[in-house]
Amino acid sequence: MVGYLAQRLATGFVTLFGVALIVFLVMRVIPGDAAVMMSGAGSGVVSQEELQQVRHQLGIDRPLVVQFADWATHVGKLDFGTSLRTGSPVIEDISRRFPYTLEIVVLSMIIAVGLGVPAGVLSAWLAGTWVDRILQTITIVGLAAPSFWIGLLFILGLVFFFHWSAPLFWQPIWMDPLASLSQLIWPSLAVGLRQLALIARMTRSIMREVLGEDYIRTARAKGLSERRVVFRHALWNGALPIITLIGFEIAALFGSLIITESVFSVPGLGQYVVQSILDRDYPAAQGIILILAAIVVLGNLAVDMLYGLLDPRTRVQGARA
Amino acid sequence: MRAKGETGILSMDRRELLKAGASGLIAATLPAAAWGQTPKSGGTLLLSSGGDPPTLDMHQSATYLTEFVGSPCFSTLLRIDPTDINKLVPDLAEKYEVSPDGMMVTFHLHAGAEFHNGMPVTAEDVAFSLDRIRKPPKGIVSPRKGLLGNVKEVEAKDAVTVVVHLTAPQADFPFQVANPYNVIVPKKVVEPLDASGQGMKRTVVGSGPFKLSQAVDGQIYELVRNEKYFAQKAYLDKIQMFPIKGEVERAAALQGGRIHACFFFANESVLEGLKKQPNITSLRRPTPTFINLIPNVKMKPFDDIRVRQALSLAIDRQSFIKTVGPLAGAFYHSYGLLTPGSSYNLEAADMKQFAGYDTVPGVGGDIEANRKRAIELLEQAGVPKGFKLVLLARGDIPAFRDSSINLAAQLKAVGFDATVDVRDAGGFYAMETGGQFQCLAHSVAVSGSLPDQILGEGYTSFGGRNYGSWKDDSIDQAFRAQSTESDPAKRKQLIRDFQIQFMKTYYQINLAWVGYGAAYQKSVMGWTALNDLYANMQMDRVWLNV
Repeated sequence: MVGYLAQRLATGFVTLFGVALIVFLVMRVIPGDAAVMMSGAGSGVVSQEELQQVRHQLGIDRPLVVQFADWATHVGKLDFGTSLRTGSPVIEDISRRFPYTLEIVVLSMIIAVGLGVPAGVLSAWLAGTWVDRILQTITIVGLAAPSFWIGLLFILGLVFFFHWSAPLFWQPIWMDPLASLSQLIWPSLAVGLRQLALIARMTRSIMREVLGEDYIRTARAKGLSERRVVFRHALWNGALPIITLIGFEIAALFGSLIITESVFSVPGLGQYVVQSILDRDYPAAQGIILILAAIVVLGNLAVDMLYGLLDPRTRVQGARA
Repeated sequence: MRAKGETGILSMDRRELLKAGASGLIAATLPAAAWGQTPKSGGTLLLSSGGDPPTLDMHQSATYLTEFVGSPCFSTLLRIDPTDINKLVPDLAEKYEVSPDGMMVTFHLHAGAEFHNGMPVTAEDVAFSLDRIRKPPKGIVSPRKGLLGNVKEVEAKDAVTVVVHLTAPQADFPFQVANPYNVIVPKKVVEPLDASGQGMKRTVVGSGPFKLSQAVDGQIYELVRNEKYFAQKAYLDKIQMFPIKGEVERAAALQGGRIHACFFFANESVLEGLKKQPNITSLRRPTPTFINLIPNVKMKPFDDIRVRQALSLAIDRQSFIKTVGPLAGAFYHSYGLLTPGSSYNLEAADMKQFAGYDTVPGVGGDIEANRKRAIELLEQAGVPKGFKLVLLARGDIPAFRDSSINLAAQLKAVGFDATVDVRDAGGFYAMETGGQFQCLAHSVAVSGSLPDQILGEGYTSFGGRNYGSWKDDSIDQAFRAQSTESDPAKRKQLIRDFQIQFMKTYYQINLAWVGYGAAYQKSVMGWTALNDLYANMQMDRVWLNV
C-alpha cells in the first residue's frame, strides 16, 4: 500500500511538472503579454519602446528557459510569486479566495449527493413508472441546462418575485454563517443541479444492473425486506462507481466554477483563473492553474485510496501492479 | 464671469474664459447645497461598476473602473463644474491667472491642503504630477501626455504657487488640467514607486474628499470620508464599491436594494427594465465616446484613400445605430468629429461632401448609390471582388465586438469577404499596438468634450488614439492652429476647417457616438448626470436621503 502510494505520488509529481511547463508555455504563446496589459495599452497607443521597458522591468524579456527555471525554483519553495495585477503574493490571493470556492463545492455536492443518490435509487427501483419518468425528465433538464443560465434564472427570479438579491460583501462561512449561506446557496444550487442529475443517472443505471443480479434474487428469495435488499445489498455493492464519480466531480469542480462564479460575482478561484489569464498575469495564472491541477491529482489519489479501502480486491490488484 | 445660486459658486465657462482673455480668475468654493434640499450627513453609499480596476494609477489609466475609485480620492487643480461640463470650479487651485500674452498660467493652491498621509500639498507636488503626465518616467505609461503637449515647463514658484509655461496660448488649457485623470499626487510617495517600476498601481494617496480604506480584489473597494479635506467635507461617511461584471447582475443588485447606484450601463434592455422600477431613476446620456472604423494605413490596400473612402461609403450609419445602439449604447450621431450637440459641429449639409457620411441620420443619403460608388472606387484601386478583410475585434466589449460584426455584414455588400477576428483584451491590444490588423472598430472614450480634448486625443498623428498609424503634418498643424487661436470666432472657423480636412482623409471613419446609462435609487441625492462619463465622480456633494 505504501509502495503504491509512493508510486502514485511520483506519477502525480510528473503530471504537475508537465502541467507547469504547459501552462508556462501557453501563457507565453498566446498573443499579448504581461507588458501589453500592464502598460495600459487599452488607454491609448503604446510604443514598442515603452513596451520593451515594461518587459524589462517585469523580467519577461529574459530567455524562456531562465524564466521557467526561476519560477519553478520558487514554486519548489512554495513561493508562487507576486501577482502583477493585485500586487499581493499569489498564495495570499488564492488563500483569500479558496474558502468561497470550497464552500460552493461542498454545498453543491451535499445537494447533489443528498438528492441525487436517493433519486437514482428510487428511479431504478420504480423503473418504468411515472415516478421514474418524472425523475428522468428532471435529470435530463439538469444535465442539459447550463449552470450559468440556471444561475441567472435564480438571480432574476429572486428579484422579480421577492425583490431580493444576495448580499454583496463576501465573508467566509465561519465569520458570518447566515450571510455566507444566503450568498453561496444560489451558485451551489445552480452547480449542484447538474451534479445531482449526473449522480442520479449514474446511480439509476448501476442500480438497474445490480438489481438484476443473481445475489439480489437470492436475497429476495430469502425473504429479506425490499428496503434491505435495495439499500443494504444492491446500493452497497453498486456504491463504488458512484463514489468514484463523486470524487472526480469534487476535484473537477474546483476548476470548473469559472462562469458560475462570474454570474454570481463570487470572488473565488474560478474568477481568479479567468482574470489572471485575461490580464496575462503570469505568476497568478501559473500559480492558480498549478494548484488546481494539484487538487485534481490529489483528489484522484484520494478516490483511489478510498476505492482500495472499500473494495479489498482493488487493494490486492493495486499492490500487485 | 458670473455668480451662480445663493451659495456663491463662481464659475466660468470656456467662452467666458476666452473673452476674459488674460485675466481668467476663479475664486470661490463649491456649493454647499446646490440641489434645493438640505443635505444630510452620514451613511454609506453602495455602488457597483463593471469589475476591478486594472490599476489604481490614475495617470496610467483610461478606464472608468479606475476613475470611479480614484476620483473621490484625488484632487485636480481645477474641477469640472458638477452641474455643467463646460464650466470649471476650483479644486486644489483656489484661483488661477493667465498672463496677458496667454503663455503663462499661474495657479494659486489652497492653503492647508493635505494628502491623506498628512503631508502638505505643495507646488512641487503639482509640478511633479503634471510632469509625470506629460513626460512619464521610464516604465510609466501616460495615455494623456498629449493633453499637456503644449506645456513647456512647470515651475514651482513657491510652496503654493505653480506657474505653467506654455509653448503657445491655449484657450482649452485650464480644462486639460481639470481632466479627472490628471490628479495631483505626492512626489515623495510616488517618485520612489516609479523608480521601482510599480507606479501607483496599488497605492492611493491623494488629497480628495475620500480616502481608500480597503481594496480587496474581486470583492470591495471602500472609501471613507477624509476628515482633513481642505474644502467642504463630504456628506457621506463611506462609499463601498462592489465589482459586478454583468449588467443584468448589476441591475438585479440595484433592484434588490443591495446597491444605491450604478453609473455605467450600456445595454438598452437592462436600462429599460430599470426604468420600470418606481424607486429607481435611470437615464442615458450622450458621452464623449465614439466608435470609429480604423483602417491600418500602413497595410495595403488601406494606404489608398479610395479604399478608405469605399469603406466609409459601404456603411449605412443609420442601420449601424439601429443595430448596435441597443447593445452598446451607440444611439447617437454627430455632424463632424465633435460631440453630438457641440457648438463646433458642422451643418447637416456639410456632411454630404464626405463619402458615406450622408447616411448619418438627418442628412438623407442613399446607401445603394453609396455602395455602387464604393464598388467603383475599389475597382479603380485594384481591389478584387472577394478581397479578404479581417476586422480585429475585442470580444468582451459590445461596442467593439457587435460593431465589428455589423461592419463585416455591411462591408460584404460592396464585395469584401469580411470576417471578424474576435480576441480577448490582451490579444486585441497586442495586435493593435503591433499594427497587426487590417481594420478594426474602436470605441474611444474621451474625458471632456472640448476640441483640444477630442481632436487632440483622437485625430492627430501624435494623439493617443492613432491606432491606424497615419502620419500627416498638415493635420497636426491644423490642430495646433485652432488650439492656439485666442479669438473665439476665428477659432471656430479653424475647428471647422480641421474637421473638414480630417474627414476627407478617412484615416478614421466615424460611425456613431455612445451614451452610457446610469441608474440610482431615488434616495441618492446631489448627483447630476453630466454628458461625460468621467466628470462629477468625486461624490463629495452626494448624500443619502434616507
